[in-house]
Amino acid sequence: MQNIGSGSLPLFSFVLRRILQMIPTVVFILVVTFVLVRLLPGDPASAMLGDRAIDADVERINASLGLDKPIPVQFLYFVKNVFTGDLGTSIALKLPVTTIIMQRLPVTLMLTLMAALLALILAVPLAFLAALKREQTADAVIRGTFQVGLSMPVFYVGILMLTVFGATLKWFPVGGYGDTFADRLYHLFLPALTLAFSFSAVLMRNLRSSIIGVINAEYVDFARAKGLRPRIIMTRHVLRNALISTVTLFGLQIGTLFGGAVITETVFAVPGAGRLMIDSIYGRDYPVLQGLTIALAVLVSLTFLATDIFQAWLDPRVAR
Amino acid sequence: MKKIAKAALAAVLLVGTSLSAVAVERGGVMTYGRYADSLFLDPVLNDANVDIWILSNLYDTLLLPTDDGKGVQAGLATEWKVSDDGMSVNLTLRDGIQFSDGSPITPADVAWSLKRAANKDNGIWNFLVSSIDDVTTEGDKTVVLKLKHPDPAILAALTVFNTAILPQKVFEAAAGATDADKAKVFAEHPVSSGPFVLQSWDRGSTMKLVRNEHYWGKGEDGKPLPYLDGVTFEVLPDDATRILKLNSGEIDGAEFIPYSRVEELKSAGNLNMELFPSTRVQYVTMNARPQIKGKDNPLSNPKVRQAMNYAVNKDAIIAIVTHGVGKPLTSYMSSATPMHTGDKPLYAYDIEKAKSLMKEAGFEKGFDTSILVLAGNQDEIGIATALQQMWAELGIKLELQQVDNATRTQQYRDGVFTMREAAWTDDIADPNEITSYFVYSPTIDALHTGWKNEEADKLFDASQKEIDATKRAAQYARIQEIYNAEGPIVPLYETPYPVALSKKVHGFLQIPLGNNFFGRAWLDK
Repeated sequence: MQNIGSGSLPLFSFVLRRILQMIPTVVFILVVTFVLVRLLPGDPASAMLGDRAIDADVERINASLGLDKPIPVQFLYFVKNVFTGDLGTSIALKLPVTTIIMQRLPVTLMLTLMAALLALILAVPLAFLAALKREQTADAVIRGTFQVGLSMPVFYVGILMLTVFGATLKWFPVGGYGDTFADRLYHLFLPALTLAFSFSAVLMRNLRSSIIGVINAEYVDFARAKGLRPRIIMTRHVLRNALISTVTLFGLQIGTLFGGAVITETVFAVPGAGRLMIDSIYGRDYPVLQGLTIALAVLVSLTFLATDIFQAWLDPRVAR
Repeated sequence: MKKIAKAALAAVLLVGTSLSAVAVERGGVMTYGRYADSLFLDPVLNDANVDIWILSNLYDTLLLPTDDGKGVQAGLATEWKVSDDGMSVNLTLRDGIQFSDGSPITPADVAWSLKRAANKDNGIWNFLVSSIDDVTTEGDKTVVLKLKHPDPAILAALTVFNTAILPQKVFEAAAGATDADKAKVFAEHPVSSGPFVLQSWDRGSTMKLVRNEHYWGKGEDGKPLPYLDGVTFEVLPDDATRILKLNSGEIDGAEFIPYSRVEELKSAGNLNMELFPSTRVQYVTMNARPQIKGKDNPLSNPKVRQAMNYAVNKDAIIAIVTHGVGKPLTSYMSSATPMHTGDKPLYAYDIEKAKSLMKEAGFEKGFDTSILVLAGNQDEIGIATALQQMWAELGIKLELQQVDNATRTQQYRDGVFTMREAAWTDDIADPNEITSYFVYSPTIDALHTGWKNEEADKLFDASQKEIDATKRAAQYARIQEIYNAEGPIVPLYETPYPVALSKKVHGFLQIPLGNNFFGRAWLDK
């Protein structure tokens, strides 16, 4: 604990270092995405016009999109535009990519955030309970339930949730996305819970074993011997140290949550970035695909950064 | 007694009719679950059914399709006359028609809209009105289409979405340098000529339409159409979710019900499971070129194609994939397409005949071949797996190549595919569109197969200018005869549009071309 104050300067330079490291990562992702989408067979005009397109229409539309130019030239235009904040116009939706991303990405962010919160709310107390009642009935029940959560496919859990809590009990709407903020939180609860179900299983298992490891550590015995109250021991010494590896896992899993959101958004009819990503891959909507990849890359990098900072706060040795 | 009975029946029918007229209820918003969202609400520059099938609610055309999708009836125009030489069409606009902003729909708007639709640089649908040479106006009610040649399909073309009437001034005042740029701006807040107006559009989620207070249509109660205050489209891509939402009463209708759920929903007490007649046909396309990527192609032999056709048990595929909802094709075009001929299923299953044809063709032991299947599409995978087993009887080893749509389209357009599955829906109530793609080689090499038949090509050319309906029907009968006998496809089945509606929905219509009409829909209170 005493290290935190003296660790603020290393923490600052650590954060700065990590931010600078993000830049090449994002640039690398930019180049890879740009090249990879163009290596996919099929072009936007063919994908957009479908089977009926005649050659003249395909050529005319590809030319109007600037896709008849060599790839390096297209890339230069793209980089120039990105630096001026212009991510281009969607080929399929005929809207600026930034507008579309600003509409769709916050939905996925809200969904992911809710899922992460729900996962934490589920995982932390239950991990404690399971660890403290190790090898007892409560532990077996908790681990068993989460094992089921981990092994069931997301879309199946989704349909199950919709059937039970939506169509049958009518506690929640059967998919969709509301008009007001409160309505949207209400609509997003079930999809978030679906995502949280498998996510919390991973966190719970990890946290449980960490807690078990920490509880038996000598410094915990020492704290007990000092006569500290059990609550203080649990929160300050056990939880804090047990959380270190869970925080890393949490950060890494956020990327996976984005992936899971693709399926959840389809099942629950949530108009998020996951569905947009799939549509733009199938439709070869290069500008949307590129813009969204950049946005997600930045977001995931920021999540990793936040994870690292939190971890450095928990364990100042990390920042050194 | 018979007379009395007839009179009583007539009285009952009359009362019934008048009761139904009285029974129409106004107001309310109908919520409809769609499998995918629209992309771009411009009638001329759109490319997809997700737009086409709802555009008619926003924009009216001069003529409207009849409910069976085969004929035309008055729309924004009340009278129409094709000249005797077939070189021009005179149309008279309806009195007092207005756009949703209250401005009058003028002959100038009509002329501009039609010229825009026929412009070769605009979109991919201009071929449907390629016969239009010029559009002129006479007075404040008359529009004259001058044609390059007689066009027997011109009236049908005037019902098609791309000939919808837009307000010229509002469109041209939209920001942007080109037509495409202006269309993007206009389509965000379109001024309507149809029964509804776009109120809001939360992309990927909800599109809200409200009634156009200036619409010309009159309801059964003599008051203006539409009956509904609005229509809300909810995008629900997952089939199971769409049905759950309908069952729980959160939406009033849902499109594209999977065939496997049709029987179940037919017996649901709160729903009407509608199977609207459609022009949708499902088939397998066979590359008929002598060589593909330098390798000899057995499918170039018409006898091989016929053998493979006879070896396919279409009834079994219909039962497996469509759960009995589909029916076998009697021509390459659907039975809902005008001038369709044929009253018995093509290539009824006959394995012995198939084997003898293979022997005649010199492929007694079969060959190895492949088919492109849309990855993850259960219907396509089901069909391909069935074909694999059925053709194994002829010694044909079929490899399933699962690819995404863009990849498949690329191979298709390059003519390097061997076989692929495909579906088709007409956009116009005329056989010319499907025939130009399936049969007529100059369009896209007969579905990019390289198949060509001189007689069929000549007949099609002639039919495009033939204004004698009987002669044209005879031309189409012959084209169908040729293609059905040796064409490069395995015709599988035709299917209706499966739409499930709450029992409180009345008057909703999906015509065989796919267009969803909410203009006469109403809800029980």
